[in-house]
Amino acid sequence: MAFLIIFVTFSLLSSKFASLHNLASILTVTSELGIMSIGIAFLMIAGEFDLSVSSVYAFTGFLFIILANRMNSVAAFFMALMVAAVIGYINGQITIKAKIPSFIATLGTMMFLRGILLGLTGGNSVLYQSDNIMPHILTEYITGHFRPSHIWFIVLIIIMSIILKRTPYGNWVFATGGSEKVARTMGVNTNRVKIINFMVCAVLAGLAGIIAITRFRLANAAFGTRMELEAIASAVIGGTLMTGGFGSILGAALGAIIMGMLRSGLVMAGAPSYWYEAFVGLILIIAATINLKLRNTG
Amino acid sequence: MKEEYLVEMKNINKNFGAVKALKGVDFIVKKREVVGLLGDNGAGKSTLIKILCGVLKADSGEIFFNNKELSISSPYQAREKGIETVHQELSLVNTMTIARNMFLGKEPIRKVGFFSFLDKETMNREARKVIGDVGIKVRSPDEYVSILSGGERQAIAIGRAMYFDAKLLILDEPLRALSVKEQKNVLDHVNQVRDQGISVIFISHNVYHAYSVTDRFVLLNKGEKQGEILKEDSTPEEIAEFVSSGEKLSKIV
Repeated sequence: MAFLIIFVTFSLLSSKFASLHNLASILTVTSELGIMSIGIAFLMIAGEFDLSVSSVYAFTGFLFIILANRMNSVAAFFMALMVAAVIGYINGQITIKAKIPSFIATLGTMMFLRGILLGLTGGNSVLYQSDNIMPHILTEYITGHFRPSHIWFIVLIIIMSIILKRTPYGNWVFATGGSEKVARTMGVNTNRVKIINFMVCAVLAGLAGIIAITRFRLANAAFGTRMELEAIASAVIGGTLMTGGFGSILGAALGAIIMGMLRSGLVMAGAPSYWYEAFVGLILIIAATINLKLRNTG
Repeated sequence: MKEEYLVEMKNINKNFGAVKALKGVDFIVKKREVVGLLGDNGAGKSTLIKILCGVLKADSGEIFFNNKELSISSPYQAREKGIETVHQELSLVNTMTIARNMFLGKEPIRKVGFFSFLDKETMNREARKVIGDVGIKVRSPDEYVSILSGGERQAIAIGRAMYFDAKLLILDEPLRALSVKEQKNVLDHVNQVRDQGISVIFISHNVYHAYSVTDRFVLLNKGEKQGEILKEDSTPEEIAEFVSSGEKLSKIV
């Protein structure tokens, strides 16, 4: 619904909004945010948070460029994603072993990783100077305005939705977020579920980072700053409960697309881009309220 | 003579730091028997049961199940052996559907190549059956548990335990926060369970709750076994008196 209202409004406000070119460029930005949002939603449904995704996004992207410049892009791609998985594993272990809320644990790893990135690069950008294999697979234009990342985004929506809704593991994810105690007494290894979801979330954030970086062919240390909040906002707009146990992958993806449409639409309608965040804030509050109302009555 | 024992816990000790939660407790459940485990808050009832259902590990002591030594380290393993637990307010996830709850941790799967998917057809069909067996009126097993009353939730949890061929059903304060009519329904379910040959441990701090269905009472007090009473030997008033006095009973069954 909200999705259609925004789409129609901006189409009326600006004739260029509904053009194929613009929609494709919205999808390009959205694919990156959306892949991250899918991971965030997957983790939030299991009852945990990850604020470090924006830093993982930048860190993995950076690592990818540095490795690719020394070997080849395919090996760099897999190694960088493995490091992202390790970061996710560490996030999970800190949350479980130290028994601190994941909100705090990942706030810590977010700042830690970003700090390391700034420290190592001294704030300088790094250029991508390697082969074209991964850029081709991830972001080079296929036909017209469309990029492979759009397809990867859709494929990931489908795969992750199937895992969540159609597999025993998905059932455990819902149960872990809905009531960890019940899940445990019914024999679900909730710690394992959480750690796996932290890892999936970090790998998807890392993938989003690599996709963005093969598009720009450049990385700088401020890359993706504050993107974690946009990803959480996307998940919440898409109906994921902050308290866990409820939500959907498709919802989070649509949430990300709404954010992308807002950003592009506001600019095209002639509003200064500064207004973007104000709108996101409003929509977030409205969406969260509506979702809660729907759940209480339904 | 031990063949009639389903559960035999011997000399169970459990400490939480300096607190001695269980001090050398012996506990027996016979086959087809409903045991009422009574005691005030903090008597050690929950600790004893958590050890039996794999949530906690005893510091020392032996547990036999069906005359075989029981070594379990997780609730999953306990369920595999046929020990199903229904915790008060804690056996169903409110944000999930009835069907998903029914099969939580024991999901039926359909293999496609290397991948395992939920067998939703089986889940819905079997959940519908269980809902019918325990006499609950809902439109579909796809309804969320949050719309059910406390009694309906207990009924579904008990139905689930029976569905998975429990040998031992542990009910933790099953009547707390239920209306009188719902309490009666749950007690009817307990009788059904026993009639199917399943042993039941009925945990309560209120002897009146358990009296009508229980065969034998075991009383715990401050981590020690206070004693055992057969139902035919006592009135509920006498048992309640023992529980509140905390005195040791000489009568051992």
